[in-house]
Amino acid sequence: MKNNTKKIVIGAVVLVALIAVFALAWTKFGAKPTKGAKNITLVVENSKGEIANYELDTDAEYLRQAMDELGDKGFSYEGTDSEYGLMIEKINGEQAIYATDGAYWSLYVNDEYGQYGADSQPVNDGDKYTWKYELAQ
Amino acid sequence: MNNNNYFSIQDIAQIGLMVAVIEVSKAALAFLPNIELTSFWLIMFTLYFGWKIIVVVPVFILLEGSIYGMNLWWIMYLYIWPLLVLIAWLFRKNTSAFLWAIISGIFGLCFGALCSIPYIVIGFSTGGFVSGLRAGFVWWIAGIPWDFIHCGGNFILMLVLYKPISLAMSKMGLKQL
Repeated sequence: MKNNTKKIVIGAVVLVALIAVFALAWTKFGAKPTKGAKNITLVVENSKGEIANYELDTDAEYLRQAMDELGDKGFSYEGTDSEYGLMIEKINGEQAIYATDGAYWSLYVNDEYGQYGADSQPVNDGDKYTWKYELAQ
Repeated sequence: MNNNNYFSIQDIAQIGLMVAVIEVSKAALAFLPNIELTSFWLIMFTLYFGWKIIVVVPVFILLEGSIYGMNLWWIMYLYIWPLLVLIAWLFRKNTSAFLWAIISGIFGLCFGALCSIPYIVIGFSTGGFVSGLRAGFVWWIAGIPWDFIHCGGNFILMLVLYKPISLAMSKMGLKQL
């Protein structure tokens, strides 16, 4: 019993220590959005290679919020929340689900492959975000 | 017929049921991001069904790949779930729900870090060692809030379910390893 208590205490200390380290890492190195009026460009390249451009002045901190604001400019999207964040499944009515369509919507930031999903991608002034329909390899 | 060296019909049925339980639980909780019962069931099945988990895990991973497509996440599954089974086996003598909750919580917390390994490899293959580390690090950092949810979910689910499921297992005549 005493041995078990010792294991629990060690385990609890390890868990708390890891949570503290992770929280510190997130605070120090996590993506930081900038606040204030930002002008961004959202580009959609569909399966036929057709391109649609959307300009937006926004205070959105993350791309998902900016995408919501573009709803009144004709842009639309659908997706599901998953363990990896928001999975975009449909943009401007065109569906790209890996399992069923063999394609996906990939996000580029300033023409470079994005590191984040729509709900964790910070919005910065002057940035260009491109949603591109891509076939699975 | 002596078939001691082969799977019995009961073994095959149990393995199938274990995979079904994991898949159904996963689908039922799919609407809650990072809240999952896969970790819980893999730990419990390791504790109560012993060697059969060695078959359950690859069947589960293959099934996941065939349902959702064998993308990068599938590569992560190849080592993450066997690692959890190994951890469960190493702690197999433990019967404290609280300690299991801690173990499951730590696993959930480290899930993102473990998932970042393929990004390190990809980054390494395209831009060298530093580039690989940076790619993995950025990916891990971006997912930390989700890792916290995963940790909390795993901790609570194990804390709540370990005793009743253990009781149900013992009523079926099964004993923890």
